[in-house]
Amino acid sequence: MSWLKKKTVLVPTDFSESSYEAIAVGKAYLEDVSGLQIIHSLSPLHPADPAAMWDTLKDDERKQKVHSFLRKKMHELGYPEAHIEVSLGDPATRIVEFAEEIEAEMIVMPSQDRKSLSRFLIGSVAERVIRLAHCPVLVLKS
Amino acid sequence: MRQVLSKFRYGFYLWIAAVILIPQAVFAQEGEAASVGILEAIFQRIIDFLNLVFYFKIGGENGMPFIVLWLVAGAVFFTLRMKFINLRAFKHAIEIVQGKYDDPDDEGDVSHFQALAAALSGTVGIGNIAGVAIAIRLGGPGAAFWMTVAGFLGMSSKFAECTLGQKYRTIKPDGTVGGGPMYYLSRGLSSLGMRGLGKGLGAMYAVFCAIATMGAGNMFQANQAYAAVANVVPFFENFSWLFGIILVSIVGLVILGGIERIGAVAGFLVPFMAVIYTLACVWVMLVKFTELPAAIGTIISTAFVPQAIAGGVLGAIVIGFQRAVFSNEAGIGSAAIAHSAARTDEPVREGIVALLEPFIDTMFICNMTAIVIVLTGVYADPTSADLDGARLSAASFATVIGWFPYVIAIAGFLFAISTMISWSYYGQMAWSYLFGEATVNVYKALFLICGFIGTVINLQLVLEFSDILLLAMSIPNLLGCFLLSGVVAGELENYMARLSSGEMLENLVEAREPALK
Repeated sequence: MSWLKKKTVLVPTDFSESSYEAIAVGKAYLEDVSGLQIIHSLSPLHPADPAAMWDTLKDDERKQKVHSFLRKKMHELGYPEAHIEVSLGDPATRIVEFAEEIEAEMIVMPSQDRKSLSRFLIGSVAERVIRLAHCPVLVLKS
Repeated sequence: MRQVLSKFRYGFYLWIAAVILIPQAVFAQEGEAASVGILEAIFQRIIDFLNLVFYFKIGGENGMPFIVLWLVAGAVFFTLRMKFINLRAFKHAIEIVQGKYDDPDDEGDVSHFQALAAALSGTVGIGNIAGVAIAIRLGGPGAAFWMTVAGFLGMSSKFAECTLGQKYRTIKPDGTVGGGPMYYLSRGLSSLGMRGLGKGLGAMYAVFCAIATMGAGNMFQANQAYAAVANVVPFFENFSWLFGIILVSIVGLVILGGIERIGAVAGFLVPFMAVIYTLACVWVMLVKFTELPAAIGTIISTAFVPQAIAGGVLGAIVIGFQRAVFSNEAGIGSAAIAHSAARTDEPVREGIVALLEPFIDTMFICNMTAIVIVLTGVYADPTSADLDGARLSAASFATVIGWFPYVIAIAGFLFAISTMISWSYYGQMAWSYLFGEATVNVYKALFLICGFIGTVINLQLVLEFSDILLLAMSIPNLLGCFLLSGVVAGELENYMARLSSGEMLENLVEAREPALK
């Protein structure tokens, strides 16, 4: 099965349990665990959010916080080697762009979005990643 | 199944396009009047249905609408249950806002003062200029008295909901705060073993909130901003749609385009305008100083004397409470969303800050407007009987300060923009609670469309629609607050005991000292 092994695998997370479970699957495809990449995409703050209104929470600071949150989480889950990327913008777009940037050979993600109505309105993030990604996308069923 | 669903999705988009484009086609063929007529007919039907559900009157034809009784009961209940927190914590509230109790190490995003200011930008809006005029027009000067009473009692409901907002907030991994009625209803009631009810009420609140933000925080603001501007720029009289496009574009640039500059400019100008407005009110009072006691006397005496137009004392109470709640949001729960961002580990402390909101908004600013309107007597002049809302306020000021309608136009425009931006935030929080973050742009687009509709249709429709939806938010919110009132009262007692023993300030000094070294 070694011909199936990949050098880099990208696993997007929205902090949901199913996205953490996808990491195990991603890891199974890797030659070496150092090729494990995790990404989370933040949405910009609404201008009337008190933090944005008074400029007390900069985007860089939010990224930093999520980064250390995920770093801790990866340690807990037993993937201390995982590389963590936190970006700002539309999740599907950012996942696809980052996958190209790091030349990911595969993206692994769960199919379940948390909210079904959003899925009906714009399709799931997974659907859009499949359509736009340059590499194979493995969508897990719960 | 998937394919069917995806086909259905494109069908859905087509449907939306049709809804948007067909009125446009009608517009092109038959002119403005026809398309506005259709919009108004649609709204009338929605309003009739909502009236049936929420506004049924208790006690016969001249009775009290259920929803107003609910709000009055809530405000009175919390005032008694919290043992007149609105009076006994007032001084402490001011001390907190001054920063005496700020601890930079606590969790949260902004200081007590900053949270109060953010919440106020959603509360102090054109309602403070136009809403009072509407109340006096409908219920006579006495309605202004009941507005003040509602503001006073509302301080207690505001305290309860903002304390709960702090207590049951969630801090997300990126440091932002998720708070407000959706969270305290679902999390708070779960902690009392009412998980199902809590989740249900939380979702119900979010649905009402997402829809209501389209009315009071949006269509009403747009409508009255147009009235204030068209009052001094006659050019816009026949071009309400053009004004709508300008207003909606500015708001859209901020909430969609992230052009925060405009938001910041409005945020700076709004307090400035509020000060100018207050000074103008004081000026009018000084000019007519000798008539001031009589005007205040009129407001108080007509509050208890039945008037034919208002449906008696009860009518004046109903109108006063409705307009007060519309202006200060007490019992509606929306402000708790902004207040939960405050940096503190004491939920009660932010609740106490929040009770200043109805005081500033209703008891202070609205009362100023009311006194000016009654003092100048324009409301009672038969020649100006067709003036209502912002136009009536402007006409009242104009009798003393000729050019003041221009200031009202500018202030109204800015108030409307900042209130619309704040309410789109509340609505977005409710929307993302229901549907997730990914689709917030759908919400924002709907919000802007409604803002545009608000400028072109008439005040009566906008007001009825906004009223019903806003007040409907109080049903899940106050029900949850009633059930959680034991928690709030317990927290309050504990807090007050520690405050009067003086240990709070000592602890703060200890916490601060290492930071200085």
